[in-house]
Amino acid sequence: MPSSSIRVRSLCDSKVVSVQVRLAGGSRTEQVPGQASITGRMLAEGSQRRDWRQIAEQAEDLGMSITAFGGLETIGVAIEALAQDWERAVEWAAELVLEPSFPQDRFEWLVQQNSAELCSLGDQPDVRTGWEFLHQLYHPHPRSRPVLGTLEGLASLDKGACTRFWRESLSSCRIVTICGGFEDEDRVRARVESLFGHPSPGGSEQLVAAPRGDGRAHRKVSIPGADQAHLYAGHLTIPRTDPDLPAMQVLSVILDSGSVLSGRLPRRLREREGLAYVASASAAAGAGLDPGRFVVYLGTAVENLERAESYVREEIDLLISHGVTEREVEEAKSYLIGREPFRRETARQWAELLAESELYGEPVDRPEWCTNRWRQVSREGVEAAARGHLRPAEIKVTVGVPS
Amino acid sequence: MSLLVTPTIRSEQLSNGLQVCLVERRQAPVVATALCYRAGTLDEPPGQEGVAHFLEHMMFRGSSEFGEGEIDRLTQALGGSNNADTSHDCTTYYFSFAKDRWTTALEIEADRMAGLLLEPAVVEAERAIILEEVKMHQDDPWDALEEQVMAALYGHHAYGRPVLGTVDSLKYVDRVALAEFQSRCYRPENAVLAIAGDVGLEAFEEVERFFAEASGGERPRSRSLGKMGPSSAQRVERHQGEVARLLCAVRAPALGDPEYPAMRLMAAILGTGRASRLNRSLVEEARSCAFVSVEMTETLVAGALLIAAEVIPGWRPPKVERMLLNELERVADGFFEEDELARAKSLLIADWVFGHEQAQEMALTIATAGALMDPELPARHLEKIQSCSLLEVREAAAHYLGAASPKVVGWSLPPNSRR
Repeated sequence: MPSSSIRVRSLCDSKVVSVQVRLAGGSRTEQVPGQASITGRMLAEGSQRRDWRQIAEQAEDLGMSITAFGGLETIGVAIEALAQDWERAVEWAAELVLEPSFPQDRFEWLVQQNSAELCSLGDQPDVRTGWEFLHQLYHPHPRSRPVLGTLEGLASLDKGACTRFWRESLSSCRIVTICGGFEDEDRVRARVESLFGHPSPGGSEQLVAAPRGDGRAHRKVSIPGADQAHLYAGHLTIPRTDPDLPAMQVLSVILDSGSVLSGRLPRRLREREGLAYVASASAAAGAGLDPGRFVVYLGTAVENLERAESYVREEIDLLISHGVTEREVEEAKSYLIGREPFRRETARQWAELLAESELYGEPVDRPEWCTNRWRQVSREGVEAAARGHLRPAEIKVTVGVPS
Repeated sequence: MSLLVTPTIRSEQLSNGLQVCLVERRQAPVVATALCYRAGTLDEPPGQEGVAHFLEHMMFRGSSEFGEGEIDRLTQALGGSNNADTSHDCTTYYFSFAKDRWTTALEIEADRMAGLLLEPAVVEAERAIILEEVKMHQDDPWDALEEQVMAALYGHHAYGRPVLGTVDSLKYVDRVALAEFQSRCYRPENAVLAIAGDVGLEAFEEVERFFAEASGGERPRSRSLGKMGPSSAQRVERHQGEVARLLCAVRAPALGDPEYPAMRLMAAILGTGRASRLNRSLVEEARSCAFVSVEMTETLVAGALLIAAEVIPGWRPPKVERMLLNELERVADGFFEEDELARAKSLLIADWVFGHEQAQEMALTIATAGALMDPELPARHLEKIQSCSLLEVREAAAHYLGAASPKVVGWSLPPNSRR
């Protein structure tokens, strides 16, 4: 678990300031499904000084955007404001995170809202199929369910559980990042420290149930009234701290996950076979504190499902048996290196990178650190990662089928 | 709030008519381009609905210098990104690259403007992909509802047609239709190229180098717009999913209409932020909806204001509809105050700043505004938004939201339930 920390970065010419406060302990450490999501969102529902309406009105009067969130690994508050309002943004972030009031009526409303949002997401066939796939892979780990929670979990949640979760998260680790168009970093840092206190050692690592999967190789989900079928195939791979991560990222680009359609799987499934509009793949999707996953997704006609699955398996077998070409590796590395400046265009991106850097203990905010990691990846390294981490015999499949 | 938020745009026109706009931004070593053709659903010949969007797909599938798959392969190898978007009014292609290699975007755009291949086998493969896209669209409750609501709002006008086309119409879009559409619409004088990022005036020379040879020549834009509807209130009801979804549409000013900024403010008063009218009344206080969103389309001929809401299970849809229409009536009658207007102004200005930190977003905004009207239009709108009076917004609200203004109320309801 990282220490609590404060990171400040001035961005010349920026007209925006982005403040993020993250507390360690998202849904991966919650006791009740939905506990982290509701706790995070409650941070904007009232403080010891203001109710939700005053928070909304006073922030919006300045054009400020406040997002209170409960994610997989952290809960917290993200504020975007015009650069001239940086001090108020920092003060607000401190007030919301350090002095929430957890009003009962707002808690009840958020539970209702989260439940409605779950029902709404469940109406999207790809999302519903994706949830089943995550369960297939991650059960009994909390990643096996939506971050929003479950209807049962939300119904059983009480406000006290959220207050406790906030208190525990607050004492565990807090990361404050502020980036944007201010000049005097020292002044900003001093103000942040005066509100949040000096950085200090964090708490202990929380124990999380290990993902095992639900034991089924194939799952089928009925999607009432849909035209299209959905296929997810894959298995767990590595967490973010694994030394093979850079090679797996290069492998992901070779398989697909660049920003264009030139990867092996979309080229085969979409461009060559015309099976899908959306076809995507990754070797380590969602790799974080917990393992990521090798996953291929496509939406296709129900009569094409079997064919699509066999093409996916063929491509993976081919990748493992014949490896990758030097050109593929070099182009994938070039892609990852070339995208680096685009991860650093906005104040919000910078604030997120700094927070990520603290959370995972990796200096991802330093472009040269990222690019060097990829430069060192070789064709042999990518092939070894593919052989070591892609296991065709363990591929699990979930299909969503119109009913 | 200062208006230093709008960019300085340098603009030049090539002798073949291509308009080029440049916005220098030195925050990151990247350059983004957006090439917007005045060619959208509005320009499709009758019986070939979907040809504009089909052509957008084909533009990535081979031209004289870049064979099948090469555009994406090269983009990726250079660490770039690309994509495109077709609307009723126009089609925009965009790239982003590091600043030392951005001219690859120009090379690709110039080549496919002049020498698109349209191989028959590739056309057929792409048709199958687009049919899957149509299905995906139909499976999404919001997309499917919006398609029907827009059809009801615009009647037989081209704005009422789906951009993707339909399973039937796509059968008639063949290689010849695609080639004809391209040669008619994809011409330098019918396009605006915007470049934003870490590049200076040398950008104009680069554009000249790649596009000077492209043949121009005025050709009138031929369109089959159809008759605009409706003249009275309409209802749409469909059944899909487990959640009740409401989409209410009213006619709104087009992008070039003098009332556009005032109505944009009205939309923000209604639905931007948690303290906005509809969010406060329907979401935070009555707790009848999980969310409400209000959007204004940015269109050339006739705009629309779209209000979307998802109903909390247990609430009866007719009651929620009444609550929404009551709120619309109230603002149409002028019941909103100076503090709400001031908040809406702050939110719109800040939203512009937050939304244009990335070079790509800036290039897209300038190219689209340039193709539809004028690249300086967003800046003029922001100025007007800041100076708009309460009276002007009230007049726009009365005009577009009043009882005489036709509305379309669309519902997507769970199967087996009635409104």
